[in-house]
Parts: sequence; C-alpha cells; structure tokens
Amino acid sequence: MKAFSMSPAPHIHSGASTSRVMLDVVIALLPASVAAVAIFGIKALWIILACVIGAVVSEALFNMCTGRKQTIGDMSAVVTGLLLALNLSTNVPLWQCVVGAAFAIIVVKCLFGGLGCNFANPAITARVFMLITFSAVAGGSTELYSGATPLELLGTEGAAIPGMGAMFLGTYGGAIGETSSVALLIGFAYLLVRKVISWHIPVVFIGTVFVLTFIAGGANFALYQILAGGLFIGAIFMATDYVTSPITKKGKVIFAVGCGVITFIVRYFCAYPEGVSFSILIMNLFVPIIERFSRNIPLGGGK
Amino acid sequence: MKTKISALHIPHNKNTASMNAVAISAPAEVLLPMNMHGGAPAVPVVAVGDYVRVGQMIAKEEGRNSVPVHATISGTVTAVEEMKISGATTTVIRIAGDGKMEKDPTLAPKNPENLDEFLTILRDSGIVGLGGAAFPLWAKLDAARKNHIKTVLVNGAECEPYITSDHRTMVENADLVVRGVQILKKFLDSEEFVIGIEDNKPDAIAKLKELFKDMPYVNVKPLKAVYPQGAKQVLLYNAAGLVAKEGQRLASLGVIIINVTTLAKMALYLDTGMPLVDKIVTVDGAAIAEPKNLIVPIGTPIQNLVDECGGLKGDVGKIIIGGPMMGKTTDSLESPVIKACNALLVFDEASSKALEPSACIHCGRCVEACPLNLNPTAYSKAMEIEDEELRYQILTEENVSMCMACGCCAYVCPAHKPLVTTNNQAKSFVRKMKAAKEPKKEGAK
Repeated sequence: MKAFSMSPAPHIHSGASTSRVMLDVVIALLPASVAAVAIFGIKALWIILACVIGAVVSEALFNMCTGRKQTIGDMSAVVTGLLLALNLSTNVPLWQCVVGAAFAIIVVKCLFGGLGCNFANPAITARVFMLITFSAVAGGSTELYSGATPLELLGTEGAAIPGMGAMFLGTYGGAIGETSSVALLIGFAYLLVRKVISWHIPVVFIGTVFVLTFIAGGANFALYQILAGGLFIGAIFMATDYVTSPITKKGKVIFAVGCGVITFIVRYFCAYPEGVSFSILIMNLFVPIIERFSRNIPLGGGK
Repeated sequence: MKTKISALHIPHNKNTASMNAVAISAPAEVLLPMNMHGGAPAVPVVAVGDYVRVGQMIAKEEGRNSVPVHATISGTVTAVEEMKISGATTTVIRIAGDGKMEKDPTLAPKNPENLDEFLTILRDSGIVGLGGAAFPLWAKLDAARKNHIKTVLVNGAECEPYITSDHRTMVENADLVVRGVQILKKFLDSEEFVIGIEDNKPDAIAKLKELFKDMPYVNVKPLKAVYPQGAKQVLLYNAAGLVAKEGQRLASLGVIIINVTTLAKMALYLDTGMPLVDKIVTVDGAAIAEPKNLIVPIGTPIQNLVDECGGLKGDVGKIIIGGPMMGKTTDSLESPVIKACNALLVFDEASSKALEPSACIHCGRCVEACPLNLNPTAYSKAMEIEDEELRYQILTEENVSMCMACGCCAYVCPAHKPLVTTNNQAKSFVRKMKAAKEPKKEGAK
C-alpha cells in the first residue's frame, strides 16, 4: 500500500489561482478591446496582437535564457501586453509596440525578479518610455477618428472638442483602449463582481480628479476631464495592479487620492496634456511608504 | 469601536450532521499517550500485567497544567513504552482489551461543596479542552479563583468543515449541556451564559433553546455559519461583543470560553464519576466508504474507526486528524485517537494534491481574509530577510504573534503560498528572538 501524504494545514483551498485572476482581468478588458477595434479599425487589432505576443514571447525568452522556471502560464504577460496596447494610439508602428512590450516585461518586470517583485507597473512604465522615446503614443489618427486628443484640444484656443456623448462612447482620438468609458465601466463591473479588485482605487482616483476639476472649472468641465485621457483605464486597470499598489484598503485610498491629485496637477499646470500615467508611476514609488503608514490594526492588537 | 471580523464561506460538508453517534465495537487494543494535554506529560502508575477497568486512573498528573490519564477499555496493560506519535516521542500505555468494557466499580458521583473542591475534583477527571486546544479544564477554571467570571461562553460553533461531533453532543446529550451550565452557575456564580452555535445546526439551537427556556441567564445564540466562527477572538467578539488585547487572558475580562463537549463531559463526570474516556469522532472524507459519527474510546487506533465505516475506498491521499483547516496529517493508521481529536478525515488522492506555490502577487486576499486583521504576506516576505534584527522588527511590528493559524490566508491565496507554515515559522522565530533578548532570569542558564 502506498504511503499517506503528509502536509501542513490547511488541507483545502478556495481554488483561486494567479492565472484565473489574470484571466479575469483579460476578460474585463475584452469590451474595451472590442470597442478599440470597432472605433479605430483593424489597425487596433494588430497593435493588440503585437503587444500581447511581444510581451508573452519576451517573458518566455527571458525565462529560457536565464534558466528560470517558465512563468507565461500565469497569464500576467498577456495582461501587461493587452494593457500596453490599449494605451497606445494607431499612430504607433507595430515594431515599436513589440519593443515597448519587451521593455515592459524584461526591463520593468523580469529584471526586478519577475511577477510580484516589480515596483512600477510594467505597462505604464513602457508607455511612458515609448512616449519619451518615440514621442507619438497617445494622439490618435485613423480614417474614422483622427487628430489630437480632447485634452490636447482643450489646451488649444478655439478648437472644436468632441461632445459628451462621444466622450462616453469613445468615438474620438486617443489611445485605442482609453476612449470608450462605457466599455471600461463594463470591465470594472466584471472585476467587482468577480472580486478581483475592490472599488477603492478606481472610485477614489476618479472621484479626486472630479472634485479637483469641479472646483477648478465647474461640473461640465469636471465631467469632461474624468471621461477624457485614459483616466478610466488608468484608474480601473493600471492603478489597481496588485503588485504596485498598497495592500490595505486604507493604503489604497491614500494611493488613489495621490494619483488623482497628481493627475490634476499635471493636466492643469504642466506642459503634458495627460497626467494619468505619470500619476500612477509616481505613486507606485510611494507604495512602500504608504504601506508603512496604512497597516491594519489587528483585532485586540495595536497600541 | 465597531469592528468587522472577516470570515470565509467555506463549503461546510457537514455530511454527518444528522447521523446519531454510534459506539464503536470494543477495540482489541488501545494506545494511550501521556501527552494528550497542554502541560507536562502524565506519569504512568500501572505496570505491565495489571488488569484495568474503564475509568480507572492509569497515569497521574505531573505539575501544573497536567491531568491524569484513565483506562478507556477493560483489559490488561501490555506495555508502558516510548513511542513516536506524529513526530514527538512520548510514553504510551498499551492495554489489550478483554472486550467486556467493564467499568471501574469505584466510580461514584462527585459532590463538591465549593469552588476549591470542585477544581480539585475536576483535575482528576482528565478533562481537557475538547475544541482542539487540549488545555486542562481545571487549570482554565482555576482563573476563577482570582477573577469573577461574569460571562461563560459555551462554544458550540463547530466551524471547521465536516466535523459534527459537538453538534451531535448538543443534540444527543443536551441534558448534560444543561447540567454543565447548572454546575458552573453554582461554582462560578456567573451572571450570564452564552451558548454560541452556528446557524447551520438549527436542531441543536432549537433543542437547547427549549431546555434553557426557564433559565433567563442562559442565551442560546445562533451565529452565522462562517469560518472561523469558533476561534477564541472571533467567538468572543461575535457572541459577547468583547475584544481581548494581545496576550490578555480572557479571565481578566471576566470571561471564559468552554467547548460544549467539554462542558458535557464535565457534567457527566460530576454526575456519574466517569472521567474522560471516550469521544464522539466524526469520520468522513472522500476516501471513507460510509461516513459516520462514532463514540470512540480514547486511544483507539484510527484503523478501527476506518473499519467501522466500511473501510477506505478509491485512491487514498491523506489522513487528517481534526478538521481540514487546522487538522494534522498522520501517515499511520496505527495512530490513536487522542483526547482533543474530534474528527478523522481521509481524503482521496485528487483532493490531497499539494498545490505548487508561485510568486506572491500582493493581491491582499490574505490580509482581507484574516479574522484578526493581520498581514500574512508580510510575514512570508520578512522571513526571507537575512538580517535577523530587521526581520524581528518587521515581524513584531506586524503582530505576527497574534496569528492563530486558522488557515484563512492560505485558503484564499491565489499563489498557493504555504502561509500558515511561514506564519508558524515566523512566530517561533519571534519567540526565539524574544527569549534571547530578555535578561536572563536568576538561576536560568
């Protein structure tokens, strides 16, 4: 008779897995991906494929070359690739997409020790890297919706800006996945239902931007500001990245307020029309210190 | 301050909830370890060849927090020997049964006059906390000498999946539960008794409500059926609205928590003189042919329990003594049922597969799941720090010592990290460092 196996408790498990979590994020990004192709045409699909394949292949090659355990099965590279793609505009050549994806995976994630060890969000860092290196990242132009983003237009005197309905549906220039607020909200709802993320970061982040822009320019301006420029995709999908956001609810709220304030400052006072990527990236750096001051008080413990 | 205590909805699998406990046929042999309780091991007072009867004391308590051990079957002592049981070497007394289950004729009801007498008598009962802690009951109640116990919390939560042992006690021996409350009322003079029962045991709740209806000081309190409802801090808060500070003894809050089966055994001892010699054990799991609740003499090899339940079926994976969240595995069917054992689970191979751990993704589910608001992932990360001082500092700042190893964190972890194991390692590391830091006591080396 074979031996009975010995193991420490607990002996049962909820069935949750990293790959299932990542799959849920991919599913939540599907509406935005479909909207991207619908709004920006087939070029959007090529960008998505280039980024996703670029990310997965980069990780596979890195693991092979360094003799590490293959980790592409955890699906996190798919999420990174997809997020990066949705943050790019159709102006970006496909080879740049691949370079960006490889940068996200190899430089930002793998070189820091792989999944769970990176301190900055790979997709956002790659996007900022591409913004600086290749310059044309955000401003979209296709046969359908071309030209500058609404936030660029807002900074241009006398320019005609898209109406609020277009802003909600996403039928205007911009990164392929950031424009359709409705598609992103469907994804948000899915993530909440599946308990992949909590509401704290998205709601507080968007809420902070809304309140600050409301004070600065009134209700219409505020509504416009929250619908424009990647705030939804950033707040729902990038700022909520487990690895690079605080672990407690208290910490998440502090982090999200910081993101909102920095987004507002960049958009309102700085030369860049867009502030979401920068705000998340900057707040990523503050996560360790936020975590230090946002610990939960244990039941019956504490001071 | 209103606190929300996290809890998990884990499939209950209380397959045996409606099964009456049936007595197992008299075992041919029992093995009685001397370390079935919290304190120092008991010391054998019988020799090979002695004839013993059920309830006869065969080992005497030794020092504080210790209790005696009694013969659980009638028969002849065949060995008093050292044996390795679940990793620890201990003295065991083997008794070869004569199948008669003859009771010790000297056993008689006890009539203590006051608290002192009650506690002394209780020590001889061999009763320990049967919820799992196995801390001697008399030592727990001893705290009542110094503190007035205002509230007695009777723990009938039984939150671990599968186990229905306390449930059956409440349904089948409800009269003993009532007697237990009356006895404690007499000696502790407590104002309030709260019997906390998870609401997945409506028959037990109804029965006890009926029996206690004329005792206004008893509150039979249904609790949500979530894990770990029966854990000390969780029950204390949910049933009595109280929080014990880290390291604070419950008695100093005027509270004691006593498991419902422990209470019933105490009543049985006072009313009949029969010490702790048997237990209801739930036998279940996918590899058990016919799950049952069995009344088992302590010391019975678990093989007998398996046989009584139609044997094993399919591919057998692991044997768990206790529940699936906190129970311990054993690799031998020879292992005896000990005092604190309330379940024997045998899992099939499929549900025994070890999960492959991967990198922590910092998702925070462990933090969310922890009933005590602790940070398991921080402990597992801290354990990788080489600098022992820094590791110690982080672990103590994050209150690792409060962890009760309930398993919620590991249960929800998508990276399949062995968080309970690292928590335990972190706890013993902190204990070791603390001991090394404390100024050496007089006489201590």
